[in-house]
Amino acid sequence: MSPHGIATVARQEFRLRIRAGRWRVLLSVWFAVLLLFTGLLRGALGGFTNEKVIDKGIVLYGGLMLFVLGLALLVVPALAAQSVNGDRERGTLATLQVTRLTAADITLGKFAAAWGTALVFLLLTLPLVVYAITQKGVPVGRVLVVTLVLGLLLGTVCAMSLALSALLSRTTTSGVLAYLAVFALTIGTLIVFGLGTALTTEKYTETFTNPCPAASELPSGIPPAKRDELFAQCGQVQSFPSTRTRTDRTWWLLAPNPFVVLADAAPQLPPLTAAQRRERQAAEARGEFRTDARDLDPLGAIGRAVRNMRRPPGDTALGIVSDTPLTSSRVNPRRRLVWPYGLAFDVALAAGALLVTIRRLHTPSRKLPKGQRVA
Amino acid sequence: MAPRLPATLYGAAMTSTGTGVVASGVRRRFGPVEAVRGIDLTAAPGEVTALVGPNGAGKTTLLLVLATLLVPDAGEVKVAGYDPVTEPDAVRARMGWSPDVFGLYDNLSAREYIRFFADAYRLGPARAAARADELLQVARLTEFADRPVHVLSRGQKQRLGLTRALVHDPEVLLLDEPASGLDPRSRVELRELLRALAASGTAVIVSSHLLGDLEELADRVVFVDRGVTVGEHRLDQLPESTAARIWRLRALDTGSLVAALTRNGYDHDAPTPAGVDVRLANDEAAASLIAGLVRDGVPLVACQPLGGALEAAYLELTE
Repeated sequence: MSPHGIATVARQEFRLRIRAGRWRVLLSVWFAVLLLFTGLLRGALGGFTNEKVIDKGIVLYGGLMLFVLGLALLVVPALAAQSVNGDRERGTLATLQVTRLTAADITLGKFAAAWGTALVFLLLTLPLVVYAITQKGVPVGRVLVVTLVLGLLLGTVCAMSLALSALLSRTTTSGVLAYLAVFALTIGTLIVFGLGTALTTEKYTETFTNPCPAASELPSGIPPAKRDELFAQCGQVQSFPSTRTRTDRTWWLLAPNPFVVLADAAPQLPPLTAAQRRERQAAEARGEFRTDARDLDPLGAIGRAVRNMRRPPGDTALGIVSDTPLTSSRVNPRRRLVWPYGLAFDVALAAGALLVTIRRLHTPSRKLPKGQRVA
Repeated sequence: MAPRLPATLYGAAMTSTGTGVVASGVRRRFGPVEAVRGIDLTAAPGEVTALVGPNGAGKTTLLLVLATLLVPDAGEVKVAGYDPVTEPDAVRARMGWSPDVFGLYDNLSAREYIRFFADAYRLGPARAAARADELLQVARLTEFADRPVHVLSRGQKQRLGLTRALVHDPEVLLLDEPASGLDPRSRVELRELLRALAASGTAVIVSSHLLGDLEELADRVVFVDRGVTVGEHRLDQLPESTAARIWRLRALDTGSLVAALTRNGYDHDAPTPAGVDVRLANDEAAASLIAGLVRDGVPLVACQPLGGALEAAYLELTE
């Protein structure tokens, strides 16, 4: 393996891609769809007719990034899913393998070309990201992290697709399986998590301790008999049977989901500053109706929802609407992160896929898969 | 064509102390099929070795083993002095291989194609550029240098494919059916090119069914059949054929020729515009036939064996 070898293969793949595809059309369509989405989302936010939405950028940016991820998951498998077996079909793989390029050069070069192409698609979203930032409220740190994670997730899809193209001899099969793999990561994790969680349903005994009200807290004019009863029950522990699911045992099934990773990795919005809080209170006092986009933050909401899944029974949950628990700071939102596990899994998956591809491309080969010719 | 070749084409091979190819007892199985069951082959530097045998005899599989693509199940193999299984990179740096069927990158130009493989063989930019010019000239593709590969004719593509195998001045050249799809003129040129490469010290192995071409090209021939070597000969020392061979006779007056043949009891076919075919046991029989026909006053203009000695040996050794 050498940088020169990888660069040689990557340059070649890029050149072939650029000349073979209708890239201008494809990239234009991609951009047009994202533009349309952003426009519609912006329109929807303006549609709270009698209310002012502040910090719209938060919703615009979060929604756009989730949409970009979804759309990219539809485009990216095609970038690598026929890379190796396509070369084999065209009779250009063996002639490459007898040169001084190693299996790793060929694998990583092809991967770099596919990933690079995926990142071009990502780069094209930049104008829309800038627009979302101008709509206020998006922290720069969030943009950096989300872009980085999005890039890594697309790399995972490229690596998986490449491995499938090396493992399967027919290009149509590997193409279909690449999309199935993406389906498994997105919808599949959701299904497995849902069904797995249902299995964790357990019976437990809920207990409730009757409160002891201070005499001053009691409503005036309470009948003496009622009052005596309250004091008699005071401190008594009541218990009754109930059932609950234990997502703290199954949350990891959902962790590799790219949407979960992306949303949870996005840093939570910082608490309002004192000045912001005063400004908002003043507006409220003036009787202005306002919707704070912080309460609609899609990335933050998904992130807090999955973090809550790790919560053991009886522990305090994060609020899904941002402001409440974050400002009361009873629960630290940095606890129970899900994304480090999910991202680690996805990156490990990518690394494994690349290793499998290298092994498959290694020559001289000892075993040939059924129906596969060397040259 | 050979004199037009740039001298640098042979530079590296000329100075090499190449050891060619030595393979013995090579076996290779694909599932239940044992494609190669014990092939021995040597190819010396400076010589063209022909690999001849029927379809399915194991020629392509053997070349894949030599080309560092397949691990043999058994056998000793050295290509340019290195083991293709344990030292593939050393072999690849010194060996060029062109398969019977291969693809080109349709959207590249001929020059880009050669430059890409020059990079893949780590020639360095300056040498790669020079090499591309030389090889485009060798393949007579200079005028197509910057046109996309898909406009090339089949023969031109075949020649371009050959330049890929030559791009790094290999000591050992392995060609699987290089002449398939080539027109007669290109075949003559290929022959001259391979002779020139051999003259400069390259060990060339060619598998082909074009026995007539091989007869003029090869120094040595290795016959393989059903996965085993059945004969290994210098071309000028082919085993004498024991079977009757067909000779074709032509005379100014076909009628008197046929009459003379019938009168003397020769086993001959009906006359065709090309002449009359006669089965003869050996060269002595041919000599006495010619002498007899001349004595009888038949106006004989030609008498030649059909198919070369190589074809005769091939038919004898393989089934």
